[in-house]
Amino acid sequence: MDPAPTLILDNISKSFGDFTAVSNLSLQVKPGRVFGLIGPNGAGKTTTIRMIVNITVPDSGRIQLLGQSMTTALQDRIGYLPEERGLYRRMKVGEQLRFFAELKNLTGAEAEARINRWLQKLQLLDWKDKRTKDLSKGMQQKVQFITAVIHEPDLLILDEPFSGLDPVNVELMKETILELKGANKTIILSTHQMEIAEKLCDDVCMINRSRKVLDGRLRDIRRSFAHNAVAIKVEGVDGVLNDPELVASLREVGEEVEVLLAPDANPQTLLKRLVEAGAVIGKFELVEPSLHDIFIQKVREAA
Amino acid sequence: MNKLLAVIKREYVQRVRTRFFVIATILGPILMSAFTIVPGMMMMMHSGGPTRIAVIDQTGKIYASLAKDLESGDRPRQLPSPTTAITQPVAPGGSQEQIKQAGQMTRTNFELQQVPGGNQSVDNLKNQLETKIQNREIDGYVFLPADLLKGGRPEYRARNAADLFTREAIQSAIGRAVRSQRLIDAGIQPEEIERASAPVDLRSVGEAGQENQGEAGFFLSLGMGIWIYMSVLLYGQVVLGAVIEEKETRIAEILFSSIRSFPLMMGKLIGVSLVALTQMSIWALAFLGFSAWAAGGPIALPRVPPIVFLYLLVFFLMGYFIYSTVYAVVGSMVTTTQEGGQVAMPIVLMLVAGFFLSFNIIRNPNSPLAFWASLFPFFAPITMLVRIVTETPPLWQILLSLAIGFTTAVGLIWLASRIYRVGMLMYGKKATIPEVMRWVRQS
Repeated sequence: MDPAPTLILDNISKSFGDFTAVSNLSLQVKPGRVFGLIGPNGAGKTTTIRMIVNITVPDSGRIQLLGQSMTTALQDRIGYLPEERGLYRRMKVGEQLRFFAELKNLTGAEAEARINRWLQKLQLLDWKDKRTKDLSKGMQQKVQFITAVIHEPDLLILDEPFSGLDPVNVELMKETILELKGANKTIILSTHQMEIAEKLCDDVCMINRSRKVLDGRLRDIRRSFAHNAVAIKVEGVDGVLNDPELVASLREVGEEVEVLLAPDANPQTLLKRLVEAGAVIGKFELVEPSLHDIFIQKVREAA
Repeated sequence: MNKLLAVIKREYVQRVRTRFFVIATILGPILMSAFTIVPGMMMMMHSGGPTRIAVIDQTGKIYASLAKDLESGDRPRQLPSPTTAITQPVAPGGSQEQIKQAGQMTRTNFELQQVPGGNQSVDNLKNQLETKIQNREIDGYVFLPADLLKGGRPEYRARNAADLFTREAIQSAIGRAVRSQRLIDAGIQPEEIERASAPVDLRSVGEAGQENQGEAGFFLSLGMGIWIYMSVLLYGQVVLGAVIEEKETRIAEILFSSIRSFPLMMGKLIGVSLVALTQMSIWALAFLGFSAWAAGGPIALPRVPPIVFLYLLVFFLMGYFIYSTVYAVVGSMVTTTQEGGQVAMPIVLMLVAGFFLSFNIIRNPNSPLAFWASLFPFFAPITMLVRIVTETPPLWQILLSLAIGFTTAVGLIWLASRIYRVGMLMYGKKATIPEVMRWVRQS
C-alpha cells in the first residue's frame, strides 16, 4: 500500500485579474520520490510552487502538507530553491546560511554543525568566510541550494537547480538529490532540462496553459506514448518524413532518426508509406518516446 | 518571534559593520560642526587686518567722536548687549552667541585717519582718496559735508560698499556722533549725554520663569528641526535601498517562503532604527565627552535640558517609522533606486512642508496652525519638537501627538506589509497606484 502523500493539491485555482495562472489543479506528491513538475514558460509552474510554499494563497481549493492544511508554521517543513536566485551579495557565506537557517527556526550549534557539513559536502568549506559576491555563479548556486536543505525539510522544491552548473557540479547535484530521496524526503523538481528530469523523476506532472495535461508515473506515461514513436534507419525517403499529417517531429540520433508520429497517424501507416516510397529500411522499431518528445507533443497539441 | 529577531540581527549587524557606517559616524559630527563653525570663521577671516577708513570732516566737529566710537569698539548698541549673556550660564544655543560675538569682533577693527582739508577742492580730495582705495592704501573713505549737522547727507565710498556689517557700523557711528554734537550744540553737557544714552538691556523671560535667549532658542528649534529632517530622510533612504536590494536580487522570494511579511518588514525597520540609535549614541557620547573636556574652556557649548533629548529621540523614532514604512512600500513598488527616488518625491515634500511650517511655528508656537500641524502625524516629528523647544505645549498635546503618530506608524506598517508582499514578487515593471490598491484588497 502506498504511503500517505506528503503534499496534496486539491483542485486549486489562482487568477491575477483577468489572467488565470492555475486552474483546477489537483495532484499528489509521495514521500521518497522525485516529482517532476514540467511545462512551458508561463504555464503556471511558478505560481503553483508559490502557492505550495505559502507565498501566495490559492483563490479556491485546498493545499495539504503532511496531512495538515497549509499554515505559516508548516513553511518550516519546506525547503525552496527558487528559479530566481537570491542571496545577499555582501554577506559572508557562513553568515548567509546561518541567517536563512534561523528563518527556518534552526539555530545554535546545530545550525553551525549542519552548515559546516553541507559546505564540506558541496566543496565550499574554504569559502565560508568569503563574501557571497566573490563566489562564481555556480558556487552561489550551491550556497543557495544549501539554504533550501539546511533545515532538513520534508518537502524540497527545486526550481531549475541545474542552471549555471558545470557538468561536474550537475553530477554532484544529482547525487545529492538522490541521497535526499533515499532519506525518504519528498522532492519536487521543476526544470526545462528534460534529459535530467527523465533520469531523476519517478513521477511527472505537466502543466500547460494553467491546466494539468499529464500526471502519473514517468514509466507509465512513457509506455502510454510508445505507439507514437518509432526509431528508424532508412535511406531516400525525405518526402515521407516531411509530411506533417504523418510526422510530428524528427530527431536524428547518430545514423538513426527518431520519429514522433502526428496525433492521427500510427506506425503501420508510416511503414506502409515508407515501403511504397521505395525506401531501404535498415531498422524500424517502436520506442518509448523521451520526455522531451512527449513534452513537445503535448505543447503542440494544445497550440 | 525567533524569525523576527533573526531579521533584526541581520539588518543591524550587516549595517553596523560596513565601512559606510564607520565613515558616516566619524564624519557626521565633523560636518555638522563645520556647518556651524565655518560661517563664523569666514567672517573672522574676512576682516584680515583692520578696515582703514579715511575721513574728510568738513564740519570739523565730528571726527574725534567718530574715531573714538569706531576704533574703541566700545560703542553703545541698538540691540540689548549680549555681554551680559557671556557671564551668565548660557542656556540653549550658546554656540550661536559665539558666532555673534565673532561677528562683532570684525566690526571693532577700524582704523580711522583724518584727511586734512587744506585748500584743496573737495573733488580733488575725493579723487586722491579714490586712487588710494585703488592702490589698497585705504579700504574706504567717508565724506562728511559741512552741512551735516543741519541735515546734509554724508557719503561712504569703499572698495566693497556691499559689506553690510561695515556700512551699518559706520552709519550708526556717524548717527551717534551727529546726535551727540547736535545736543552739545544745543548746550547739553557731554556727561549728561553719555548718561542719557546708556543702553537698555531687555531681559526676556519665558513662561516657566527661565531666562529666554530669544535668538538662541530660535536656532536650537531650527537646528532640531533640521536634524530630524535630515536623519529621517537619511535612514528612510537606507530602508529604501535595503528593500530594493532584496527585490532586485530576488531574495524576497525566499524570505516570503520562510517568514510572513509583517514580521519581515518590522524586523527590517527595527534593525535599521537600531543602527540609527547606535550612531546617535556614539555621537551623544562623543558630545558629552567633548563637553566635559571643554568645560570651563574657551568654548561654551549649548546647554540643553535633558528632557529635550528624550523628546528628540522619541520624535525621531516616530518620524523614522512613519517615513521609512512609506519608503519600504515605495521600494517594493519600483525596480531601481532611481525610480525609487522619483516615486519617493512626494514623501520628501511632506517632510519639507513640515520643516517649513516650523518657521511659522517658532514665531507663533500656540497658534491653531501650530496645534494642528503638530498633531498631523507626517508633520509632527518636526513641528511638535519645534514647539517643545520653542514653548513647551501642555503635556496632553505632546502625548496626543505621539499617540496619533505611533498609531499611524503601526497602521502604515500593517498596510505596507500587505503591499510589500505582492510588490516584492512583481518583477520587471513599476507598479501603478491602482495596482497597489488591488494588492491591498487581495492579499
